[in-house]
Amino acid sequence: MTSNTADAIPRNQPIAMPAPLQSFAQRLFSGRNVLVVSLVAILSFLAVYPLAMLLYGSLHSTPPGMAGEFNLNGYKSILNWSNTVVLLNTVAISLGKTIPSLTLAVLLAWIIARTDTPWRDKLEVLITLPFFIPPILTAMAWGMLGNPQVGLLNQVWKWATGATVSPINVYSYGGVIWHMMQYSTPFLFLFIVDIFRAMDPALEESSRMCGASRWRTFRLITLMLMLPALTNSFILSLIRGIESFESPLFFGTPAKIEVITTEIYNSINHRATPDYQYATALSFAIMVMMFLLVVWQWWLLKGRTFTTVTGKGYAPNIMKLGKWKWVTFSFCILFFVITVVLPVGQLLIGSFFKFFGFYSYDMLTTEHYVAVFNNAEVWRAMGNTMLLGLLGATAVMILGSIVAYVSVRTKWRGRRLIDGLAWLPWMMPGMVLGIGFLWAFAMLPGPIPIYGTIWALMLAYVALGTPISVRVMSSAYAQLSYDLEECSRVHGATFMQTMWRILIALAWPSFAVGWVLAFFGIMRELSASILLYSVGSEVLSVVLLRLWANGLAEQVSVIGLMMMLLVILFRWVQLKLIKSRISTL
Amino acid sequence: MSAIVLENISKFFGAAAAVDDVNLQVETGEFVTLLGPSGCGKTTTLRMVAGLEQNSTGRISIGGEVVSDAAQDFFIPPERRHLGMVFQSYAIWPHMTVFDNVAYPLRIRRKSAQEIKDRVERALKLVEMGRFADRPAPALSGGQQQRVAIARALVFEPRVLLLDEPLSNLDARLRTQTGDEFRQLQKRLGITSLYVTHDQGEAMALSDRVVVMSMGKILQVGPPEDIYQRPHSRAVAAFFGSPNFIEAEVKACRSDTGGTFVLELDGGWIGPCHSTHEIKPGNKAAVMVRPENMRLVSGDRGPSATGMAWKGIVKESIYRGAHRSVMLDTSAGNLNIDLTALENPAVGAQVDVFAAENSAWAVPI
Ligand SMILES: Nc1ncnc2c1ncn2[C@@H]1O[C@H](COP(=O)(O)OP(=O)(O)O)[C@@H](O)[C@H]1O
Ligand SMILES: [Mg+2]
Repeated sequence: MTSNTADAIPRNQPIAMPAPLQSFAQRLFSGRNVLVVSLVAILSFLAVYPLAMLLYGSLHSTPPGMAGEFNLNGYKSILNWSNTVVLLNTVAISLGKTIPSLTLAVLLAWIIARTDTPWRDKLEVLITLPFFIPPILTAMAWGMLGNPQVGLLNQVWKWATGATVSPINVYSYGGVIWHMMQYSTPFLFLFIVDIFRAMDPALEESSRMCGASRWRTFRLITLMLMLPALTNSFILSLIRGIESFESPLFFGTPAKIEVITTEIYNSINHRATPDYQYATALSFAIMVMMFLLVVWQWWLLKGRTFTTVTGKGYAPNIMKLGKWKWVTFSFCILFFVITVVLPVGQLLIGSFFKFFGFYSYDMLTTEHYVAVFNNAEVWRAMGNTMLLGLLGATAVMILGSIVAYVSVRTKWRGRRLIDGLAWLPWMMPGMVLGIGFLWAFAMLPGPIPIYGTIWALMLAYVALGTPISVRVMSSAYAQLSYDLEECSRVHGATFMQTMWRILIALAWPSFAVGWVLAFFGIMRELSASILLYSVGSEVLSVVLLRLWANGLAEQVSVIGLMMMLLVILFRWVQLKLIKSRISTL
Repeated sequence: MSAIVLENISKFFGAAAAVDDVNLQVETGEFVTLLGPSGCGKTTTLRMVAGLEQNSTGRISIGGEVVSDAAQDFFIPPERRHLGMVFQSYAIWPHMTVFDNVAYPLRIRRKSAQEIKDRVERALKLVEMGRFADRPAPALSGGQQQRVAIARALVFEPRVLLLDEPLSNLDARLRTQTGDEFRQLQKRLGITSLYVTHDQGEAMALSDRVVVMSMGKILQVGPPEDIYQRPHSRAVAAFFGSPNFIEAEVKACRSDTGGTFVLELDGGWIGPCHSTHEIKPGNKAAVMVRPENMRLVSGDRGPSATGMAWKGIVKESIYRGAHRSVMLDTSAGNLNIDLTALENPAVGAQVDVFAAENSAWAVPI
């Protein structure tokens, strides 16, 4: 029902109720209000409820669902020296990966957007690919590549130089940072490359005309104009680094380097009795930290975003590199080789040898493929992941489309609240949301058995995906002029017809692109899944982790390769869509 | 000494020539405008002078010094050409105040703080923006940004000022006013200016000389009056307004003073007409008469010796406020005439139209 027809009814119909009462009832039950209220309810359940339960749980002495008392023991127990080290580790590792990642991302974005490096469009696809690969895959691959005893890289090094000591040990601070950089660099690259592209070339040219050299112009104009965006990316990357789970789990924990996410995980999974209060208190503390970071980010950026974009479709300044273009080309290829070819190659090799680390002809085998194909658990997990991915991505995108529509294209009351609620999970690490949902499901009244089913995972995935889907759809709507919508109304289409024929018809490619993103997000998710799964509702990432923990690196490689195929297929579809959309709009 | 000399300049993007063998000299203190339809290569020409594009062929000199020579593969980058430039989008840096924007070229040249302050203030005063020095740049209107851009281009006393459609982002009223102010400033400072526009009115009002370009080539160079009244070709004539072209046969041709020719023409009337081209008797020529130079006459004057006259029927009459446009059907085809706003011949009425001899100009067909 549209708001317009709802408003029109009282005027045209005979009055059955006293007028004020009737119009009140009309307002209350008009389609608009029902929609707004349901959105607020859904989003609150997805974000506010687990957050509130986190606070509740942190004050509660027993695990979720058991009778207990309220006390501050959780907070007391997290205040100790070893947690100070954990906190310092977390911040230091995140800073340690953010700074080089950002530098690298700026360099790569500059090469792709502003130089005449050959095959830049293809390089761009290659450079951004690692962002779409689940970190758990590359983590396991690097665990094999950089293993201090039998890692392939170490073996090659020893064979080539005759040395007896391994130069590389991924189980170290360096290893954690190295792995984080591999997916955070392409993530930052995606942000930065468009800023380089969209900048009005005249802003830099006028600096040249004022007598500044290329390098000075880059420092004084280009970088300074990008500063707000770079600050934004920096803090975003810092937050992502603090939330990161796979890298410290794989490379930190074996070396006794713990960060907040692994500390939470260990306190539930690796202690004789899971200490829920401790974990929950720690989660709540990390939420507070995230909140402060977000406030800091907001304060830094207040009123400091510059519009540097041209209206005209002018190509940005392209720098002619001469012979150097082959250097920049090789640099991009090197990045791709390190972040994609090496790990995928390792998975490929690992899957065909009897034991990982012992590479000789007589060790060649396909038994791991057979083992994986005969493993019912793997097939069940695959089915679960697919089901969750298909349904979850669809749900996330539908929710995101509606929320984005209400918040950017209407002037309805409550739209800011909806926007804020949808954004809230943005700063919740998956691990923290997982704990919040553990409590949230346990506190639900009896007849709603969510915990232990795949719907528990589904809800967490929808919550984690919504901020991104809202962003994708908001920017899609923002590109469509209001005229298109209004013109359709003027020509006789109803609100629903307009939605269907104009808005959805024009925005569906963005919907599809966002859908693939959401699917990737679900496929890679580990930190919430590991807390919320139970027997029968395992997903692939959880099974991978379990196999890895049982020392079955070879089977892990087989599953990893299957997931890689899926990643490449979906990414290819997504790129096709992006391309066709750009050429039609 | 010429301030700017372009010799056989071309620019290729791939195989297509955006600028095709252009030759041009701009004298010191002169205001020269590149005029032409969108996509004809004006901006590319200007950017080659600036050094923002490298010319594919030819040589560019500024102030007697070669700055680019394609044959020698010699190229001085823009920052060492010492030119001021105003961009179409103004390119005011949003992360700086007005003062910082204007001070930028001086800071790059490492001037003392005192000198920077004095010169920036003087430049801002010149464009009447002194009060806005401390404003953040994004808080300016389009007209104000344009002034700041001019101040920034002038503050380091460049050899030449280059302007690429600097008025096109302003609304119509502001455009005329700002243009006139800029022309006064340019005359006062005597700064050599190369200006790009696609607006004929702007080019007429501002320039010492206009360069008419089309498809990468120069069609004609000359003072505004020449370009408008004495075009070399039909293309140049047609670029300004919508003149009438009347076909006529050349009966005789003799040269006149000043390199022009006088033609005896027969086009339903017999009369003399001037041209820059020598057209042999027996050939056809097109006589250009601008609508505003034609008028209605009462009574029968016949083909008088001082001009041309036709009889016609009013087919269309459009009131435009400042004047009235009338289309007549005559023996010479359809003719467009601009009348004063007070005249109002009825549609279908028979009228006599007259054009003085000195308002006609012949171009080759
Ligand atoms: N960087 C470029 N790459 C390819 N073609 C260009 C480029 N710049 C301009 N052109 C082409 O050169 C021609 C002249 O462009 P331009 O000088 O901008 O025209 P004007 O300023 O007269 O409108 C146009 O056809 C345009 O498409
Ligand atoms: Mg142009």
